[in-house]
Amino acid sequence: MADTHAIQSLPLPTFAKVRYNAWQLDDMIPATETATTPFFMKNKENGIEVSGLSTTYQHLTEALTAQGVILMSMVQAKIDYPALLEKMVGTVITKTTDRLSAQNFAQFNTGIFVYIPENVQFDDVLHLTLNHLAASGKDLVARIFVYIGANAKVDILQEIHTISDQKTKASVVVEVIADVGAQVTYANIDAFNEQTTAYINREAEVRDHATLDWQNAEFNDGNAIIRLASQLNGEGATSHANVIGLTTKKQTQGFVTTILNRGRHTLGHIFQRGVILNRSTLVFNGIGKIIKGAQGSDAQQESRVLMLSRRARGDANPLLLIDENDVTAGHAASVGRVDEDQMYYLMSRGISEQVARKLVIRGFMGEVLAKMPTKEAQQQVVTEIDRKLKHEDESN
Amino acid sequence: MTTLKVENLHVSVAGKEILKGVNLVVNTGEIHAIMGPNGTGKSTLSQTIMGHPAYEVTEGHITIDDQDLADMSVDQRARAGLFLAMQYPSEIQGVTNAEFMRAAINARRPEDDQIGVMSFIEKLDEKREFLSMSEEMAERYLNEGFSGGEKKRNEILQMMMIEPKIAILDEIDSGLDIDALKVVSRGVNDMRSSDFGALMITHYQRLLDYIVPDFVHVMMGGKIVKTGGAELAKKLETEGYAGLRDELGLSVQLTDEDVNSYFVED
Repeated sequence: MADTHAIQSLPLPTFAKVRYNAWQLDDMIPATETATTPFFMKNKENGIEVSGLSTTYQHLTEALTAQGVILMSMVQAKIDYPALLEKMVGTVITKTTDRLSAQNFAQFNTGIFVYIPENVQFDDVLHLTLNHLAASGKDLVARIFVYIGANAKVDILQEIHTISDQKTKASVVVEVIADVGAQVTYANIDAFNEQTTAYINREAEVRDHATLDWQNAEFNDGNAIIRLASQLNGEGATSHANVIGLTTKKQTQGFVTTILNRGRHTLGHIFQRGVILNRSTLVFNGIGKIIKGAQGSDAQQESRVLMLSRRARGDANPLLLIDENDVTAGHAASVGRVDEDQMYYLMSRGISEQVARKLVIRGFMGEVLAKMPTKEAQQQVVTEIDRKLKHEDESN
Repeated sequence: MTTLKVENLHVSVAGKEILKGVNLVVNTGEIHAIMGPNGTGKSTLSQTIMGHPAYEVTEGHITIDDQDLADMSVDQRARAGLFLAMQYPSEIQGVTNAEFMRAAINARRPEDDQIGVMSFIEKLDEKREFLSMSEEMAERYLNEGFSGGEKKRNEILQMMMIEPKIAILDEIDSGLDIDALKVVSRGVNDMRSSDFGALMITHYQRLLDYIVPDFVHVMMGGKIVKTGGAELAKKLETEGYAGLRDELGLSVQLTDEDVNSYFVED
């Protein structure tokens, strides 16, 4: 209980130009529902689907299991590997960072744990799915932890869904460690429904000569604040943080995407593309921070927002904080409208304005779409974009 | 028969008059070539016909089968049978070539009679092979990372897939090596029929060796100043635009000092 008090005294995380105090994200009751059959995953792909407190799908090839890869729900990991969890969980996003992360740490009762030993190479994508079973009206409080050992290589595809239409909240904290020389892509498609208000915080620690690239697709229908961070701690560590988001109706999605260059010769690039429709709000905050001593580092960011409605609100705020001279850095930000040349080109082939607009919007987010690790994931992003734009067709 | 008719067309771009009274009739079954020095309004004519928003018609009319294009949006013009192979096609990531072409074909068909996947793929494979394009191009993103030559081929591929009534080819030969030029020309020649007409815009006579036109028009100073057969292009090659200008007694200022530089590459 004293713990609860200490947590409440921590500040809420900062999302500049996003007002979310009224969302009550610091007041959650973790749901305890379970399910027995998978909702989305099938076909013997490497991965896990955790639905509520239960595991509804789990598969890993024998070869990967033999190499020591651990892939299980947090519930199971607490039973099987308590010492490992104790040592690792909470090291990337510590329990005193801010009130919402601290509450997640104290309350999480579900999630996914992945441990990939050194030198393990995945040939196919590793697929992680988290389903919020919301029928009871209670909240999702989940933590995902992924450790990628030295010189290991993996492409991760992570999804989040809400099952049921009850009004609920969600707190998802994702910690990733890319150890020396590891090569990691972490792609995610977040699609909470309109009834879920969400706090999502992902952060990676990137060690010497490791690469961690984020492909972060946010297609939530409810209000959400989304933080994405890379700490480039090791020499020559690299991270590309690619973000796409689409907001519709009256929702707000607020983003903070931040890369910290701490090691020498580190490279951190932020690339964000957002599309705003109807009366919705989308705010990109990009923060590049270079610590003194991070010589030869590079911090770049580009955030662009496409406003498709007069009543929408959008913002792209770049911030560079640099304490070292021997670095390169740059930023670009814009709020604009649909590319007229692309519209003209598509329409000159007979494609209607409405369809052309859809394709141009997709093209605007194409750079991140193209980097999704599988054809299916690319198709899923296309489907999500079409789904989100459907509302616009109906309201026009 | 479909007829594209341009009558006394005056067009301004950003307040500056570029076309100063163009008259032209293109029927299906005919191949026309428009030649002329740089900056004379050839591309303005093609973009205006297609309906690019930056080009303002200040006087005159363009009609297709007696429908006034002024009343039609860009996509309506395309569905009425027009096609423009562009000099600088847009790149759109996230939209595959195949999806784009299927959307273009389906835009011309009723909702309940959309082209089936198999018949679309068969047609695409046939046309693609005809243009010596690789199989993977169908799944690549629209013009994304395409070389200049690949983009031109892709424009011709789209034309063959869509089968317009009248195609405008805006400098389809620029930036092509001789092999690519032959391939592109093969595509246009394959389309030649009583149901297809083309208006080719070019600087170079070379293209007309491969696609022999029925009519050659010379544009200078925003007007068509002379019309003839294929032999007119040959004459221009030897005499240059300045020669023709002087012969016609025109007082048109040519953009480039050395007009014969247009023919150096040939």
